[in-house]
Amino acid sequence: MKATALDLSIVVPVFNEVENLRPLVHAVRQALVDIDAWELLLVDDGSTDGTRELARSLAQDEGPVRLISMARNFGQTAAMQAGFDAARGAVVVSMDGDLQNDPADIPRLLEKLGEGYDLVAGYRVDRQDTLITRKVPSWVANRIIAWLTGVSIRDNGCSLKAYRRELFDRVVLYSDMHRFIPAMAVATAGARVAEIPVRHHARRAGQSKYGLSRIWKVLSDLLAIKMISSFRNRPLVMFGLGAAIATGFAVVFFVLTLLSVPGGLREGMAYTFVFPSIVLVWVTLAVYLLLLGLIAEVVIRGDRLSRDVPLPVAREWS
Amino acid sequence: MNEPPRKPDGGSRVAELALGQGPRSTTDPDVSVLVPVSERPDPLADLYLEVAGALRDSGRTCEFVFVAEPFNLDAVEALRPLAESDEPIRVLEAGHTVGESTLLKLGAARARGRVLLVLPAYHRVVPEVLPALVEVVEQGADLANCRRWPRHDSWLNRIQTRLLHSIVTGLSSGHVRDVGSGVRAMRPEVLRELPLYGDLFRFLPVLALRDGYSVVEIEGAQHPLDARLRIYGPGTYLRRAIDVLGLFFLSRFTYKPLRFFGLIGSALGFVGGVILLIMFIQRLGGQGLANRPLLLLAVLLFTLGVQAVALGLIGEIIVHFNAPSRRAYRVRDTAGEEAEEPGGVDGSSEKAETAFRTGV
Repeated sequence: MKATALDLSIVVPVFNEVENLRPLVHAVRQALVDIDAWELLLVDDGSTDGTRELARSLAQDEGPVRLISMARNFGQTAAMQAGFDAARGAVVVSMDGDLQNDPADIPRLLEKLGEGYDLVAGYRVDRQDTLITRKVPSWVANRIIAWLTGVSIRDNGCSLKAYRRELFDRVVLYSDMHRFIPAMAVATAGARVAEIPVRHHARRAGQSKYGLSRIWKVLSDLLAIKMISSFRNRPLVMFGLGAAIATGFAVVFFVLTLLSVPGGLREGMAYTFVFPSIVLVWVTLAVYLLLLGLIAEVVIRGDRLSRDVPLPVAREWS
Repeated sequence: MNEPPRKPDGGSRVAELALGQGPRSTTDPDVSVLVPVSERPDPLADLYLEVAGALRDSGRTCEFVFVAEPFNLDAVEALRPLAESDEPIRVLEAGHTVGESTLLKLGAARARGRVLLVLPAYHRVVPEVLPALVEVVEQGADLANCRRWPRHDSWLNRIQTRLLHSIVTGLSSGHVRDVGSGVRAMRPEVLRELPLYGDLFRFLPVLALRDGYSVVEIEGAQHPLDARLRIYGPGTYLRRAIDVLGLFFLSRFTYKPLRFFGLIGSALGFVGGVILLIMFIQRLGGQGLANRPLLLLAVLLFTLGVQAVALGLIGEIIVHFNAPSRRAYRVRDTAGEEAEEPGGVDGSSEKAETAFRTGV
């Protein structure tokens, strides 16, 4: 797949962007006049408006443009991963297909990457989106992601990012993980991450594909990303902590039991089954969590036994 | 060649061994009719004569591949006279009981036809509709499902499957309305590439749709022999319901188990938490706790919620560590510089370049 090595691959997932496609290719071409060996990978994610047909003709007629068309609409994460899998460049840049990102920022991303980073994320200044449904949720989400994962990225929602290709030997996107690429890259590959400001334009044509409905999904994904970024190599610690908390509650109710039995410290309180039963419930939970933690260790062990897990990226100097 | 012993779960392994077939030759039949012979088949010779007649009348050459479980060898033995009189019948006998999904995989690996026609070992639809079904695939669809319509059986037959069928139809966005007919024509690649195990064979059209194959449903009149009244034991209904639950979970949450378990867990935990909060406030108001069993219920609900979320996290760990070795998408085709045209045919042919396969 990576027969010829290139300098740069631009990966652009497109979904029903027929009007933006030609201007996009044009803008990329203009932005990259100084770079020799590059390719533009258009990943059509099951469009129904003729995007695929147009992209195919662009790919056949215009220099370094390639089309990967997904068998159906698999979502943005899968489309990006398909692009990353097919990319041949030493550096990969991802970008939105709606021209809200400006390809003219790509050279600056590359420059920053050249300073010794593995991932450079753009953050949108002067963002051209509605305040309530787009900017506020995004601001809150970015703060929570930073707090949970310890990877402080101002704008996770900005697709314009540059990566060293080695990252993709170590980071594989699944589910809706495209929102958390920097956090994943740090957790699983030890990536060095930098940020630079990028331009943001209002949508010229086509429809926005996002809405508020994704909040619940993001919350659930946040919990998953928290676990993976903090405990992916030692899940037993996480489940053990849970078990310890449950044991703590068991102890509390055990003490309450002692206090409430006849002849206890506070005589006269009715003896019931309630507190002892609750002790058992918490003990059960603690045991259960410990066992689950062991299962998680089995899963990881199986992974390490069945394949060569790449070591994190690391810089060397002498 | 000495074959290694078959493993109990060795469906794909068996298929792999079997795939050592040569390149497709010009004598390959137009249609391979694939019949898994599992529980309680109709007389297979009758089925063969009926279907082979219909396919030949339409001018197509065909071969029949019967794949039988070892407990059903008597049923396929009835085909021996036909096979010996040079009818195009091939019989594969599994070494031990492998389940219908694996029977299909095994048959698909050995079949030589350009189109695969999968039939259950019962008369389901009138044979006249089968050439039309094959033609849908010949004209470009990846899979054609046959819906039994119009139906002649009693409402009692239909009502008992109504609920589960409507769920499956919903999961297929209305594309598949009769998943129970089991009569399907498809390109052989579909069956060879789809991960199929356990009872998932029932939902083949839905799984194909979710992997991005084009699925078409056409109508064919129900076979008179299919119209007899069927009453199953309660275990059968329970298994079907569990199958549909499994399909629902796998098709929505294979790559995001926490969204499912998290929803259940937070609902349980929320109810438990609210009760706990109310009781805590009442405790501050002076009401004792030790004699209120409701407290036990609240704690139980809360810990159940924690358990559900914890299981979801285990699911996420499994998905995370499996991610490097599989891809959650399927590529239809590629174009542009140095793109290998699949099979060297014209660009319009939609042969899937399947470097990767999806989860479900």
